[in-house]
Amino acid sequence: MGLYRVVAVVSLKKGLKDPEAETIQKDLVLRHGYSAVKEVRVGKQLTFLVEAESPEEAISYVKEMCDKLMIYNPVIHELYVTLHA
Amino acid sequence: MPLNREEVEEIRSILGREPTIEELAMFEAQWSEHCSYKSSRRLLKLLPTTGRSVLIGPGRDAPAVEVFPGIAVVFKIESHNHPSAVDPYNGAATGIGGIVRDILTLGAKPIALLDMLYLGDPRDGRARWLVKGIVRGISDYGNRIGVPTVAGDAWFDSSFNTQPLVNVACVGIARTEELVRCRPASGDLILVIGNPTGRDGLLGSSFASKPLSDNPSEDIGAVQVADPLMEKMLIDSIAELVQRKLVKFIKDLGGGGLTTAVAEVAADFELGAELRLDELHLRTELTPLEILVSESQERMMIVISREKLEDVAAVLKKYDVPGSVVGFFDRSGRIRAYYKNGLVADVPARELAKPRDIKRSSKPPVELVKLLNPVGDLPEVPVSEALDSLLSSPNVASKRWIYEQYDHEVGVRTVLKPGFGDAAVLRLDDSRGIAVKGDANPRYTAIDPFNGAANSVAECYRNLVAVGSTPVAFVDEPNAGNPEKPEHFWYFEMIVKGIAWMASELGVPVVGGKVSFYNEDYRGRQVKPTATIVGVGAVEDVSKVKTMDLKYEGSAILVVGHTYPELGGSEYLARVHGIEAGGVPAPRPSSELRNASYVAKLIDRGVALSVHDVGLGGLAVAIAEMAILGGVGVELYLERVPCRGCSRLDEVLFSETQGRYVVEVRLEEVGGALEVASASGVTAAVIARTTGSKFFTARWGSTTVFEKGLDYLRELYEDGLRKYMV
Repeated sequence: MGLYRVVAVVSLKKGLKDPEAETIQKDLVLRHGYSAVKEVRVGKQLTFLVEAESPEEAISYVKEMCDKLMIYNPVIHELYVTLHA
Repeated sequence: MPLNREEVEEIRSILGREPTIEELAMFEAQWSEHCSYKSSRRLLKLLPTTGRSVLIGPGRDAPAVEVFPGIAVVFKIESHNHPSAVDPYNGAATGIGGIVRDILTLGAKPIALLDMLYLGDPRDGRARWLVKGIVRGISDYGNRIGVPTVAGDAWFDSSFNTQPLVNVACVGIARTEELVRCRPASGDLILVIGNPTGRDGLLGSSFASKPLSDNPSEDIGAVQVADPLMEKMLIDSIAELVQRKLVKFIKDLGGGGLTTAVAEVAADFELGAELRLDELHLRTELTPLEILVSESQERMMIVISREKLEDVAAVLKKYDVPGSVVGFFDRSGRIRAYYKNGLVADVPARELAKPRDIKRSSKPPVELVKLLNPVGDLPEVPVSEALDSLLSSPNVASKRWIYEQYDHEVGVRTVLKPGFGDAAVLRLDDSRGIAVKGDANPRYTAIDPFNGAANSVAECYRNLVAVGSTPVAFVDEPNAGNPEKPEHFWYFEMIVKGIAWMASELGVPVVGGKVSFYNEDYRGRQVKPTATIVGVGAVEDVSKVKTMDLKYEGSAILVVGHTYPELGGSEYLARVHGIEAGGVPAPRPSSELRNASYVAKLIDRGVALSVHDVGLGGLAVAIAEMAILGGVGVELYLERVPCRGCSRLDEVLFSETQGRYVVEVRLEEVGGALEVASASGVTAAVIARTTGSKFFTARWGSTTVFEKGLDYLRELYEDGLRKYMV
């Protein structure tokens, strides 16, 4: 058994409008001259410290939990789960 | 609903040729139930829509009534049931956005929101997830655009577990002479302002005009992410455009998108239009078809004369609202859409905007007869425990968990806050105000749609009267099942007839509304059909407004109106006996009118200290609520309650007979109050007195029926909903 830091990122699916990100891009990033930035997306990041047999088990444990607890809405969000570097 | 073969055939004969794909998409959007009212229009004609106060009736994006000379109220209701079922947060939020834009179209300033929510059983996980998302969506959007959510209705029932009803209303005010009521003319420019158009909400109206699929992830096209910041900019920029008289006509780009907005205006004013689709500002590359029917949120159409273009552009720039000139109206009577110089659609506006009425067949479901059977012999249960169970029912219990998430005081107009009055009251000026309230009882309408809908109207009327206002107008929203199924359509038909009957008996017009069909789950089961009514009342003197909390010890409590043994469809029967059946309480329009005018007199003369209408849970619940909210004890003498035909205590306590009020009156005023009652043929009796003890006690003669601590009752009432949600 080991402890693994697992990161879950919830963001709007590609193709869906992301008003918060658009506002950041238009009124913050571009307004201050960072014109190389072509797109901004906003999401929510959750970090879990998980006890598991392996990194893979820790990740699938978190994935299942996010699904069951409806931490995100699969209709509009995508969930990205990874091990903290 | 995709077009059926007959409809495609009809389109061919309208055009005299094969339609292009763009034209088919336009017809599909506009001929959807949501946009065209093709199944409902015929029945909606039954509604009384005229009256002295009516400035603009049904037909525009929102109606307007004159509540005081020179002061107009613009208000409207809409449903966002389907979007909220797949994405509760954004679905509910964009519902608020849409209804606010409807109010803007007449140049009114939005001052209040209402939310009428018919939600799943809070013990069910998915239902609870929907409830939380819906309430947060409304809260975030309303708070961010700075319009307070002041009133509403909430109901919890397992039939709404996967398909909730989210009905929202917005109230706006304007000076009568400043309402935007010009006619658009040939040559006027058509501008689309607000959010760049994307693929979101593609054919959303068509989505709302069919049952949900069993895999909601497939309905992704109908999902729209709410953008309250843009909405706020639209509100502010339109206020300036209206105030400087730069616009002739405003329309929301809602269901059906650009197609519906242009087609309806052209048809209403016998115009045609030429559109340059490539001129529209876009979020992503779109095909002409997508441009025509996208339902991207936070967009509006404005119509201006050509010479105002420069001024309009300057205003839009000032508020950072993107806009584009997408075409102009002409006299052709046709909608011609060009994309990069190619003609992609050329259709007659009138035929597009107004498809033929469909006469749907209608028949009552056979199993309904069972529901209508009179309530048989009920087992005797301890009424004391029944009262506990009712006060803690999420339908009766305090809705604080919901409304404390809303900013209900922005704009400082709120005179009467949620939770204390039967309706919310908003200040217009130093002395005058308006009252607003929304009501429905899904259980009544599921058992008996005609009488149930009539009772929704009457309940709304009583709520407006109880705070001290004079009802001026209603808007309505029947939420029904699939109109193609006769057993579902019958509910809709009966609901409309019930609303029409009661509204016209009460002499209050139904000036507008919306219809929502296809409220069924993926198995085709209809949710409880629901008739939501929102009413506006005029308050001459806001200092006389009445709350329901008891004020003093030593005053008398009057009940106005007879109590009949009407437990059918009641909260008591459902919650305590597990029965959702029986004839619902009879609508009594003439008692409603008589009793309302009596209560209004008591309020006007300053005799009434607190007023509460008797609704869900009956007399016992009404008095308990008044005692809990006021922290004032009550001794109730049940043998004094004017009853006809009641033979059991539970009938006296929990019957939901319509037309009744509870009024707190100073002891020395009782004689006068009763004299006025008998002079006007109103049944009124002193049934209780307020005490210095912190108990709610009910007696029958010398027998104590129950004696309950107010703190104990308060906890039940405050916790009934909250315990599931936090």
